[in-house]
Amino acid sequence: MISEFKERIEKRHERSRELKKEGKKIVACFYGLVPKELIHAAGIVPIQLIEERNPQYEEKSELLPYLCGMGKNLTGQIYGKVFDYVDGVMVGTVCDTNRHVYDIWAHRKLFPHLLLVRTPSTASDAAVNYYTDELKRLAGELEKISGKKITENSLRESIALYNENKDLFCQFYDIRPKTDISAEDTVYIFSSGLVTPVEEHNDMMRRFLSILSATSEANNEVKLMLCAVNLNMAIDVIRMTERYGASVVTDDLIHNARYGSNKIDMEGDPFEALARGYLRKVPAPGIYSFEERATYIRDRMAKAKAKGMIYLIQLYCDAYAIEYAILKERFDKWKLTHLKLEAEDTPSSIEQLNVRIQSFVESLS
Amino acid sequence: MAEAEKPEEKVDLKSMMKKLSAGASYRRVIAAHEAGHPICVASAGIPSEIMFAMDVYPIYPESLAAISSGIRKADEFFDEARARDLTNSVCSYTRCGLGISWTNKCAFGPLPDPDLFITDVSICCLHVTWWAYLEDHFKKPTFFVDQPATDRPDDPAYIDYYENQIREMVKFIEDNTHSVFDLERLKQTVRNSDLTGLYWKKIMELRKHKPSPASFRHLAGQILPLVTALGDKDAADFYIAFYGHYQDLIKQRVTPAAGGEKYRLIWNGIPIWHHLQVIDYFEKKGANFVWEPYTSLSWGNKTPSGRLDPEDPFRTLAVKYTNVFTNRPIEARFKYFEEAIDEYDVDGMVMFSNRSCRPQSIGQDETVEMVREKYDLPILILEGDQADAEGFSWEDAKNKIDGFVEVLEARKR
Repeated sequence: MISEFKERIEKRHERSRELKKEGKKIVACFYGLVPKELIHAAGIVPIQLIEERNPQYEEKSELLPYLCGMGKNLTGQIYGKVFDYVDGVMVGTVCDTNRHVYDIWAHRKLFPHLLLVRTPSTASDAAVNYYTDELKRLAGELEKISGKKITENSLRESIALYNENKDLFCQFYDIRPKTDISAEDTVYIFSSGLVTPVEEHNDMMRRFLSILSATSEANNEVKLMLCAVNLNMAIDVIRMTERYGASVVTDDLIHNARYGSNKIDMEGDPFEALARGYLRKVPAPGIYSFEERATYIRDRMAKAKAKGMIYLIQLYCDAYAIEYAILKERFDKWKLTHLKLEAEDTPSSIEQLNVRIQSFVESLS
Repeated sequence: MAEAEKPEEKVDLKSMMKKLSAGASYRRVIAAHEAGHPICVASAGIPSEIMFAMDVYPIYPESLAAISSGIRKADEFFDEARARDLTNSVCSYTRCGLGISWTNKCAFGPLPDPDLFITDVSICCLHVTWWAYLEDHFKKPTFFVDQPATDRPDDPAYIDYYENQIREMVKFIEDNTHSVFDLERLKQTVRNSDLTGLYWKKIMELRKHKPSPASFRHLAGQILPLVTALGDKDAADFYIAFYGHYQDLIKQRVTPAAGGEKYRLIWNGIPIWHHLQVIDYFEKKGANFVWEPYTSLSWGNKTPSGRLDPEDPFRTLAVKYTNVFTNRPIEARFKYFEEAIDEYDVDGMVMFSNRSCRPQSIGQDETVEMVREKYDLPILILEGDQADAEGFSWEDAKNKIDGFVEVLEARKR
């Protein structure tokens, strides 16, 4: 079953091209603040733009050297026509790089449809009203792509499907520390959800959970939690921890934290419910409670009996870097044992983390 | 709309500058605190006229970071940020500004304990995180003058939303201080702000003259009242007086460029505060900066008419503060460059690729491409950081400038 998830992520472009041949429209999301439910309600398949380890992409992007690797990597992939099946891209702002890389994509006319989500940073009544209207405006733009009207009912159905997906993730994350599912496999299970039609992923998750059973927690490995932005870097660090006799028993991968953060209310106007469900409810620096985010990490560590936590920052990701410094005040106050690592998404940069990870694991043994 | 006043007599520019200097601004904040007025840590880009009209005294950490950097007193704030695990990839204004908040002092001395925090959310995403942190760490009332990310800042619905935010800001101040809002006082404040912005704009226009009388180095210092004293009549008087001064310099054909103004340049970006001598070096070589988006588009009356309407203060401030240059599409930004190149008769451009400021730096290469395509102008790209001198080589910068000026010279032959 794991291989099914892994294949979904590894062959995501092939699968998307197949969907395209079947007549589906595809809209890519640039980071987790994009309301995928809205895209789905227009009869379009939302997929997430995901980083792919290949230094050529960063070079190809020709973006400034001090910008985060994620923005550069995605731009390089776009220039390399990796996403040639995409009908449009929707950008939800979480940092200055993703906001302004949008300007370059728009300037170079890289997609037939490029939509910037104008998300307020507060959740006041005025902000909810503004964002509800904005979602309706975006619905109109999406309808132009698919030719399908977004009705209150279709949006409600889409919200229900994504709520189910989030629910299935929660079930998996709760049981995972008690199973023999590896950390690396967990990354595949989760990330496949970002690039698979939600109906199919729900089905996969239901089948998977039905055969998943708890095992005894007998091993003596050092249990760790991993917080990270970049999926490839996360896998590298997971492998390194295993090399030194530790295991990552739970994680806070930013794609996941944002995607699976909270369910949308099914009552009332679905546009307004979506607005309320996204404003200050999705973990992103500055627009989400630091207390809740730090507490979430601490609680998840406790639940998974993790002795330590690794916080992996992709170099030049200023949003994640500043968030770490803020969360650290609480980590220190709670005496939460952790290691901050900062690296680029290249094998040589990651390789330099070896010694620090080894020392950290040994200190917890 | 207020009538533009004309300077009638010679004024003492030095004493006016002293009255509005950074040091004077610091002393005003200290005195205000002692007098029981509320003190607010404020970001650039908020409608500061509201604070002025309500006797709220702002501390601007970005401005203090620029000043600290300019007088080489920023290191201890950067060290403080480093000690708290803020990596150097985070904006230097943020690191230095947080250092100022943590140590509760600035380059001039100790700072009073603030009562409020207010920030904009449209100039950069870090403002949001930075002020959210201040709220979280110092547990003080905090207001975000909300402005969603946009590439269409002129959209009336967008301006409506922001206008409502300004009204909410007034309510926030009233709810959290003893200050009381007075519409007539706001109108007078906007009147003063309008004159201030108007004369700043007129000074910018004077730079079309050949030779241009103004030095970017001096303007970088003279811009401070636009940041710290909008609404104050003294600020309006200050720019009115400077307008007269620059008119006199035009009559005398005075230029800051040593040996005469041989080349007229555009500077794109925030000044390099820790090495302002970069600008001097250009001027010594006969190259004078005559237009910058930083001076011409980021400050002053950013309304389509170039004026503020004191009779409709909330709307006029909403129109002004939603007009953020870097929120416009790259093509729209290029139009400003086109106008400047044509109207200011420019010979070349210097682009400051500032690792701290993503909004200003992303898209710069595309602007360069468009300028090269249409004008074939020589363009120099200088890399560095606005406030953090780490990694900046003065020798390298001079070499690059030497080479660039040689290119300009060859083209003039």
